[in-house]
Amino acid sequence: MQATSTLSRDLVLEVSQKLQEPRWLLEKRLAAWEAFARLPYPTLKTEEWRYTNLSKVPLEGLALELPTGQKLSRQDLPAQVRSRLEQAELSGVAVFVGADLVYLELPEELQAQGVVLTSIAQALQTHEAPIQNALFRTVGWNEKLQAYNAALFTHGAFLFVPKGVEFDAPIGVFNYLEGGRLSIGRTLIVAEPNSKAVYIEEYVSPTPVHEGVNLSVSELVLAQGAQLRHSHVQTLALGFYHFHRTRALLARDARLNDLTATFGGTLARTETQSELAGPGADSEMLGLYFAHGEQHLDHYTLQHHAEHHTKSDLLYKGAVKDRAHTVYSGLIKLEEAAQKADAYQSNRNLLLSSEARVDSIPQLEIAANEVRCTHGSTTAPVDEMQLFYLMSRGVPKHVAQQVLVKAHLYDVLTRIPLLPLREHIERIIEEKVRL
Amino acid sequence: MTEKTPLLEVRNLWVKLPDEEDAIIRGLNLTIYPGEVHALMGPNGSGKSTLAKVLSGHPGYEVTDGEVLFRGENILELEPDDRARMGLFLAFQYPMEVPGVTIANFLRLAYQRRFDTEVKYTEFYKILLQHLKKLEMDPSFAGRPVNEGFSGGEKKRFEIVQLSLLEPVLSVLDETDSGLDIDALKIVSNGVNAMRSPERSFLVITHYQRILNYITPDYVHVMVEGRIVRSGGPELALQLEEKGYDWVRGELAGATAP
Repeated sequence: MQATSTLSRDLVLEVSQKLQEPRWLLEKRLAAWEAFARLPYPTLKTEEWRYTNLSKVPLEGLALELPTGQKLSRQDLPAQVRSRLEQAELSGVAVFVGADLVYLELPEELQAQGVVLTSIAQALQTHEAPIQNALFRTVGWNEKLQAYNAALFTHGAFLFVPKGVEFDAPIGVFNYLEGGRLSIGRTLIVAEPNSKAVYIEEYVSPTPVHEGVNLSVSELVLAQGAQLRHSHVQTLALGFYHFHRTRALLARDARLNDLTATFGGTLARTETQSELAGPGADSEMLGLYFAHGEQHLDHYTLQHHAEHHTKSDLLYKGAVKDRAHTVYSGLIKLEEAAQKADAYQSNRNLLLSSEARVDSIPQLEIAANEVRCTHGSTTAPVDEMQLFYLMSRGVPKHVAQQVLVKAHLYDVLTRIPLLPLREHIERIIEEKVRL
Repeated sequence: MTEKTPLLEVRNLWVKLPDEEDAIIRGLNLTIYPGEVHALMGPNGSGKSTLAKVLSGHPGYEVTDGEVLFRGENILELEPDDRARMGLFLAFQYPMEVPGVTIANFLRLAYQRRFDTEVKYTEFYKILLQHLKKLEMDPSFAGRPVNEGFSGGEKKRFEIVQLSLLEPVLSVLDETDSGLDIDALKIVSNGVNAMRSPERSFLVITHYQRILNYITPDYVHVMVEGRIVRSGGPELALQLEEKGYDWVRGELAGATAP
């Protein structure tokens, strides 16, 4: 696989040229590069990064993984991806190995309705207008890591769902990372008015790996009345540093159901943001994480209500064991125009060891006066009385603890109507409990 | 009688809360033989429920003296699950809600441990339904989270479902009657009576005599201030009902006066 190690303006030019991008995109990349060069990395003094230390992360120490044009047949895909494909009951599949889209599959029935699933680079040949209109619209380059991504992303999926087209079986996009490199990917989903789609993005790797850094961004643009169910599932091996931002822009009456599930990596910072930009927009954000060993898993969420009669509901639940550390910080922001908005935010953490650490910081910023808004956070060990109750019926302590961890996390899972995905996540949780 | 081995023998038991000086149970003695039903009565705060919890291994209490022999073994050092597998069962006064854990999943684990067997989910489900039916609980309870959203009466009935399923040799019923209307009380009592056998014993803890109309005890004990102050036959419960606990308290005061 090709890679290059020095970050420079020339590298931006090289990436853009390699992908045969139009002029406007190169110009945006160069603007992002300028911002990247100017902005400092967040430190522990940066309010939103208070509990996550980047000083030991090789953010500029690894070679950027570049596309090579590799293609694979379904049976030659990495084993981790194949086993997921067998179980996941997907309607469409895209697999990236490193910076290459190596495998693609979309049912003719969806293609006939105008649904597009391919790489952004490929889609620029046929769907330049919607891409130009949407790319960088929700995530620009005003922050360091986002500027890094905008200037240098080498790959990523594009999903286009035309007006009124609906499908319920999920599209699955797998990002297979081999480690030892810097990987920068970007996803763009454009859901036209009154369309309905289900999309799962997974980050997987072999195990064990050399140190690797993943810097990814997912932009979700939902037009009026569009419905999107989006899941971000990260199960990378230890050794990975995963930095991701998902940001959705919801027009009037659009509905987003987001799930962020984080289990892997040495350090992961996953941000999920939702901007409710039209009346009637509705955003459900679910989060699930489980940290073990020395893992550091950080989640940041934003529920940004820009308009009246908007609704957001957030539930993030985590468990932490051994000496691991999890962070949750979430902001509900209600602008002056957001009258009659309804915002709910809850973060619940289960502590499984006295050496584990949880930081949870829910925040509110309210400029409107007629809103319904509640938030809360709890961090507690396993309930001794529940444990006693289960044990008093003959269930041994370690089994009772497993049962209670699963129970703690399962009420998020029960809100996801994608059974194969739920079962996959349940298995991961069971494995982690036993670790 | 004397050639039999006691099922439970509590000898000079002293119990307190970890951060308090005064003992709640103060030198209690109690012996239960196989097949016997004992009622333990007493006013609020006399230590009845504490005894129930200590027997089952509740982590919130400290035993400062004495021993508890169950089937000849001192169980005070055993974990609650070990005691349960030996056949000890506590029907909780306030059963815990365990959201996210279904009754079927939970009780399958318990059943497998109690009888040291593997049972398939579908097979277990059939077994569970029989026991739910005995206590007149809807089959849909099998898929519901443990005790979550149950009425007080449903929680109590579900305790007896578990008792019926796990076939303990010693069942401790901690105020199972409180909060039950007369119909529920009959259902619960029938469930218990159906379990009575020459091998199986019960310790029925209650504040009121009412439940003893349905579950007839062999012995009645009165507990006051952490110890048993009086024991007798079923007639003692009736006397208590008539005269109230002050009667025993008064006798006690008289007896211990110089």
